[in-house]
Amino acid sequence: MLAYKQQKKLFHSLRCEVALCYIASLILLSLLFSHPLFLLALFMALNMVILSAGIALEWLSYLKFSLLLIFLITLVNSLFVRAGATILFRGPHLPIIGTIRVTLESLCFSAGMGIRLLVILGAFCLFTYAVSPDKVLKILGGRGSKTMLALSLSLRLFPLLVDDFARITEAQRCRGVSFQTRNRRQRFEKYIPILNTLLLSSLERSFQLAESLQSRGFGIAKRSSYREELWRPRDVLVLLSTVPGIALGVALALNGWAGYRYYPSLQPIEGLEMMMSAFLGLFFIFPALLNWGWEKWQFLRLKI
Amino acid sequence: MAVLALENLTYSYPDESKPALDQINLSIQEGEFVLIVGGSGSGKSSLVRAMTGLIPDFYGGRIRGSVKLDSEELTGMGKARVIQKVGMVFQDPESQLVMTNVEQELAFGMENLGLSAELMKRRIMEVSSALSLQPFLHNDISSLSGGLKQKVVLASILAMQPDILILDEPTSQLDPVAGEEILTIIRRLNEENGLTVILIEQRLERCFHLADRILFMEQGRIVHDSINRQEAVRWAAVHNNPFIPPVARLFAKTGAAEIPMTVKEGRKLLKTSSLSREQGLIKETSEGDDPPAKRSEILLDVEKLWFSYNGGTEVLKNINLTIHPADFLAIMGENAAGKTTLLKNLQGLLRPSRGKIKLADQDMNNFPVEALAGTIGYLAQNPNDYLFQPTVQDEIVFTRHNLGLKNCSRVDELLEKLALTSHAETNPRDLSTGERQRVALASILAAEPKLILLDEPTRGLDYEMKACLGKLLQKLQQEGQAIIVVTHDMEFAAEYAPEIILMSQGQIISRGSKSEMLSRSTFYSSQVSKLFHNIDDRIVTFQEGEKALQKYQRNRRDDVCGDH
Repeated sequence: MLAYKQQKKLFHSLRCEVALCYIASLILLSLLFSHPLFLLALFMALNMVILSAGIALEWLSYLKFSLLLIFLITLVNSLFVRAGATILFRGPHLPIIGTIRVTLESLCFSAGMGIRLLVILGAFCLFTYAVSPDKVLKILGGRGSKTMLALSLSLRLFPLLVDDFARITEAQRCRGVSFQTRNRRQRFEKYIPILNTLLLSSLERSFQLAESLQSRGFGIAKRSSYREELWRPRDVLVLLSTVPGIALGVALALNGWAGYRYYPSLQPIEGLEMMMSAFLGLFFIFPALLNWGWEKWQFLRLKI
Repeated sequence: MAVLALENLTYSYPDESKPALDQINLSIQEGEFVLIVGGSGSGKSSLVRAMTGLIPDFYGGRIRGSVKLDSEELTGMGKARVIQKVGMVFQDPESQLVMTNVEQELAFGMENLGLSAELMKRRIMEVSSALSLQPFLHNDISSLSGGLKQKVVLASILAMQPDILILDEPTSQLDPVAGEEILTIIRRLNEENGLTVILIEQRLERCFHLADRILFMEQGRIVHDSINRQEAVRWAAVHNNPFIPPVARLFAKTGAAEIPMTVKEGRKLLKTSSLSREQGLIKETSEGDDPPAKRSEILLDVEKLWFSYNGGTEVLKNINLTIHPADFLAIMGENAAGKTTLLKNLQGLLRPSRGKIKLADQDMNNFPVEALAGTIGYLAQNPNDYLFQPTVQDEIVFTRHNLGLKNCSRVDELLEKLALTSHAETNPRDLSTGERQRVALASILAAEPKLILLDEPTRGLDYEMKACLGKLLQKLQQEGQAIIVVTHDMEFAAEYAPEIILMSQGQIISRGSKSEMLSRSTFYSSQVSKLFHNIDDRIVTFQEGEKALQKYQRNRRDDVCGDH
């Protein structure tokens, strides 16, 4: 939430409720489905939307972290899960764990769960970089919530704090403080003056901020709320793809399409499942398609 | 009718025995533009805070006397009514902004007043148009420049439609261009909308002539209250009060009958003289103005320096620069010219992308910043970044301890040199802006560097503090230390730095003596050189201006005697 940057992309210009609805739908469906094909379809759609929102670089840093996590899941799953009929590798006998036995089914299960994790993290990435925190707080905080103000202030001040930290560290280095020592304790001790300066400067800033808040009348009366967000055709269009998408997903889940049998042997994938998953993916790829059309054709830009 | 009246107002901060405001009696009329001037700790900020009710509501303390808004006691009015009548803009925009988006920030104050969405929308439209903020309405606050942030603060206050606008040094954290823009807006609001303005400001050359009324403050008292600018300047000259614009001070000091407030008025007065351009005014004084002869020893040598940040944009391009011991250079140029980046490269905080920086014939790349601290001192823009020890003395000892310097007598010497002896045991955070600046400088000088780099050291300082800093730097230069100052402050550079470097778009455009660089220029020149532009272009400093003006007055007297 601290990294949002305004961009001239369709997803950034959506009403906050619409963007949140899209993101929430993806998270809900990723939790509802364990079928890898449907999860893969959601993942592919989400990737397209992330690319179209111009946050691919940010997503890459998420991906690095996610892949590490998926590797750990796969490792633990392979070591501890004994189920699965197709043995790929049989290792030595280890105390407590027993004989190492890596099966195709356990690897596929890890991959399926990994894709689910990627969808959830991707949705959070989209939320972090493409949805304005101010607008989210307005929706969550309602009228004049002090929590909303505290959150909004944190969002604004955190980057300042990061800048302060960098500047104070530079000032310390210019006074001969070296942070290059290998001894962790010594290094920690050298950071204490920085934290001290940071704290003192933050306290002074918070005092000035409190004074400014008082002079602008915060807390003197019941607050009203200013929201200047218009409904545009693009919001309606994205909703018109998201709502049927979630409806289709729920319907599929209710009819038993969401699950998938990994053990003892992998459930065969049918053509209808492939078709339905592609169909579901299409609903959720729609914002990306709309964005590209919006960027490419002036006519569409004018109309939506 | 007085919109604001203070009667016998005396106020002391909690745990302070000395009053910050002492028997203040003041009545401000509707539509007046009141300028409050005075040194640090004179009570200016306390006075305006008493006018808004922040004193004593926010600060506590003991208060006597009364503050009335439209003849009604401030204490008896509801807070909402006070806020709707009086709006206040503080110094640092970063410490006033609450939201992350411009439009939401403009709405914040109005939301606090419980205004309807429709009314808020209208007012946002009005203030954003008036202050040219429309293109930025949907921008993140963090992406705005300092000047734009202060404009957003001002707009958010104006959206609450106060009758009285109070501004406490609104331009002190801004560069001159942004500061000028804010002052122009304030003048427009006063002239075109009849808004009552109460302004505390240090850039008097920009606003003195705009004020209908000038209040001089000292030690919590209004020592002079004048609605006549000429009279105010004369009073200041007689009482050695430095808080008047340089041009006015110049004429007042020479006892001129008519005192101009602006360069335009001053030039008009000079042009009426019979003095011809060929005669020159200060031929004898401008000689010897050139910087002292260079020592052969080279302290720092920059060769073909190029620097780009990670994004790839070239910030410094082919910089060649030689620094000798006892050089005193001021680097000037527009925003984003690469001035601070150059300083950071010279300090070793940033490393050149191409080219070399040699320190006493050794490549600086071989040394980490920490190792260079004993040779190069760097004071960044915000002195607070250097202050964390419980006492001033400890700040100096901290640096010396890091560098393994043992001689304790140097600590006392340094305290004395920077006029900090009386504050040796004081917490640096309890000191004024100017004093904090000196403590931060002391923490750098404690390393006994041969080269001192200062980035915008005059930001937020008043005339008195600037003079103090300038003289200190000259003293250090005389002791053989080389000094490089990055500044936007024309007056400071003209007065104290013998050499000037002009930078633009990452390049050094030119380097030369101050008389070469700051004269014959429309924008990069001091008020004094603007005054004598095309009359005697060698005049740059206040002292030269004073001598020239005295000569001019002698000439005029001789002319008058000759006529008789």
